[in-house]
Amino acid sequence: MLLCDFHIHTKYSDGSIELRKVVDIFGQAGFDVIAITDHVVNGDSLIGKFAHRFRFTITHKNFNEYMENIKYEAQRAWNKYEMLVIPGVEISKNYLSSEKSAHILILDIKDFIPACESYENIFLEAKKQDALIIACHPHHMRGEIRNTLYLWNNRDIYGKYIDAWEIANRDDVFNVVSLKKYPYIANSDFHKPRHLYSWKTLLNCEKDIISIKRCIKHNKGVAITLFRG
Amino acid sequence: MFLWIILALILVSITIYFFQILALRKKLSESYNSTFLPPVSIIKPLKGIDDNLFDNLESFCKQDYPEYEIIFSLQDVNDPAYRIAEKIKNKYPHLVRIILDGSQRALNPKVKNMITAYRNSKYDYFLISDSNVYVGKDYLRKTVSCMTENTGLITNLIVGVSGRSIGAKLENLQLNSFVILATCFLDKFLKMPCSIGKSMLMRKKDFEEIGGFDAIKDILAEDYMLGKLMHEKGKGVVLSNYMVKNVNEYWSLSRFLNRHTRWAKIRWKIGGIKYFTEPLSNPLFLSSLTFFVDNFSIMSLKVFLMTLLLKISFDFYTSRLIKSPLNISVLLIPIKDLITALIWFVPFISCRLSWRGNIYKIGKDTIIIPNNNLSSVRIIFNKLKTAFNH
Repeated sequence: MLLCDFHIHTKYSDGSIELRKVVDIFGQAGFDVIAITDHVVNGDSLIGKFAHRFRFTITHKNFNEYMENIKYEAQRAWNKYEMLVIPGVEISKNYLSSEKSAHILILDIKDFIPACESYENIFLEAKKQDALIIACHPHHMRGEIRNTLYLWNNRDIYGKYIDAWEIANRDDVFNVVSLKKYPYIANSDFHKPRHLYSWKTLLNCEKDIISIKRCIKHNKGVAITLFRG
Repeated sequence: MFLWIILALILVSITIYFFQILALRKKLSESYNSTFLPPVSIIKPLKGIDDNLFDNLESFCKQDYPEYEIIFSLQDVNDPAYRIAEKIKNKYPHLVRIILDGSQRALNPKVKNMITAYRNSKYDYFLISDSNVYVGKDYLRKTVSCMTENTGLITNLIVGVSGRSIGAKLENLQLNSFVILATCFLDKFLKMPCSIGKSMLMRKKDFEEIGGFDAIKDILAEDYMLGKLMHEKGKGVVLSNYMVKNVNEYWSLSRFLNRHTRWAKIRWKIGGIKYFTEPLSNPLFLSSLTFFVDNFSIMSLKVFLMTLLLKISFDFYTSRLIKSPLNISVLLIPIKDLITALIWFVPFISCRLSWRGNIYKIGKDTIIIPNNNLSSVRIIFNKLKTAFNH
């Protein structure tokens, strides 16, 4: 089984550690697959403007540099740790209301997708790029004032676009995803070294991007584990 | 009167600290020129993830040494370290073997991990090395070069490196001052056998003569006991001046407290009355007592600041000797010294300790008292507590 974490932030957005060191933390801990998913924040709300002002977001301007660096680190990680590093982003539509907010992981992204686009356009663009779409922390989280409930509340409309839902995020488990029998994965939402010890995904497939995407989409050979070092 | 006693103790403490640095200097100037390079089996007991684990393990596969093997020993495949061990084995299949042993033949989990690995090791010389150790290419060659006919055990100095979090910085400060200096002082001036579990090289013949794993299976400080038994047998315990690196990057403060509380309890159970001399190696703590004795006077502040300056200078010099720069960590020296001074009192309150996910109670010479006994004591205590409450 491949030990995977598909939700990881670096200093490119609001993570506390630079990309190279993040790759090393996961490589040193024996991971097989990780996805770097820094925030792409919408600029059309107060919270979004704040993120842009303090550069807690990937923008159209630095997206190519971000992708280049991930590509370089992916090569290094493969040579050293035999660990696959997938480029991704977390499209973050942040509003004051939890009901309006949503975060979406786009894994194996190729071109920049702005977060201020409509949900439909974001999903269609991601599909065009053959990327994987994951709804992250879709339900209420412990101790969180602002949740991201939009996609869950509108699952009848957008569910068809979503390849998998986060069933667990760091220490939170969303049993509603299980009850609806949706495809699932579990991630750390890594921002700090201590987040390494959290929920993770185990995949029973080959260690290549095509097999991994297929495995998650078809939800066959997927398990979750609480990684405790 | 009390003030004068404390001032005298501070003076003694600073003198001891000076001699400890002298011991380190002497140790580092030693050289061994032996060309004796026998085949060696390296046994690495693994449990859980350590900072830098992949690189730590791989560093042993890159030794500039003619013939050696590495055995990673684990309890079971579910251990998170197993994945890393397997990756290293795939990279160096000719060098590495993985041995799983889930048996319950020892109370010490590290010893329990190693029994089968030891039996399966090929060579007459074997080296026990902890998983949180990183070494250079010349480590094995230089360590083995200390081996003579009369040597029973060779151990190494440790330095803490790579601290990024506060806990890790404190940990490295403690390793690179108190631990390394005390080890050299015991070795050079007091001629006491001082073996450190991070790296221990022995001949199988000598090891079996002192009782092998049976002699240490229920001892928590198995490294100390091995050194002691070798010494009693008339075999030398040699402290090599090759410094192995203990990589501590992202330690939390609680992990730092946990480790040093555990080590303090171990030292108390080993040293007994000698444990009371330990505060003498912490001049900053002694100088802080002047505040209480002299009612926070200007004089007490002056004494404290002067001792602090001296202590920082000593630690700065030590860090240069061991080539481990202090940088911004220098600001943490007084905090670390005062925390470790408080930790010194803990063994008088409790003899329970936590190590790699297990809770232990230890007796004299760190003999492990089994958990079931511990729980029965707890049951009786709880029953008595309930009875009194009623």
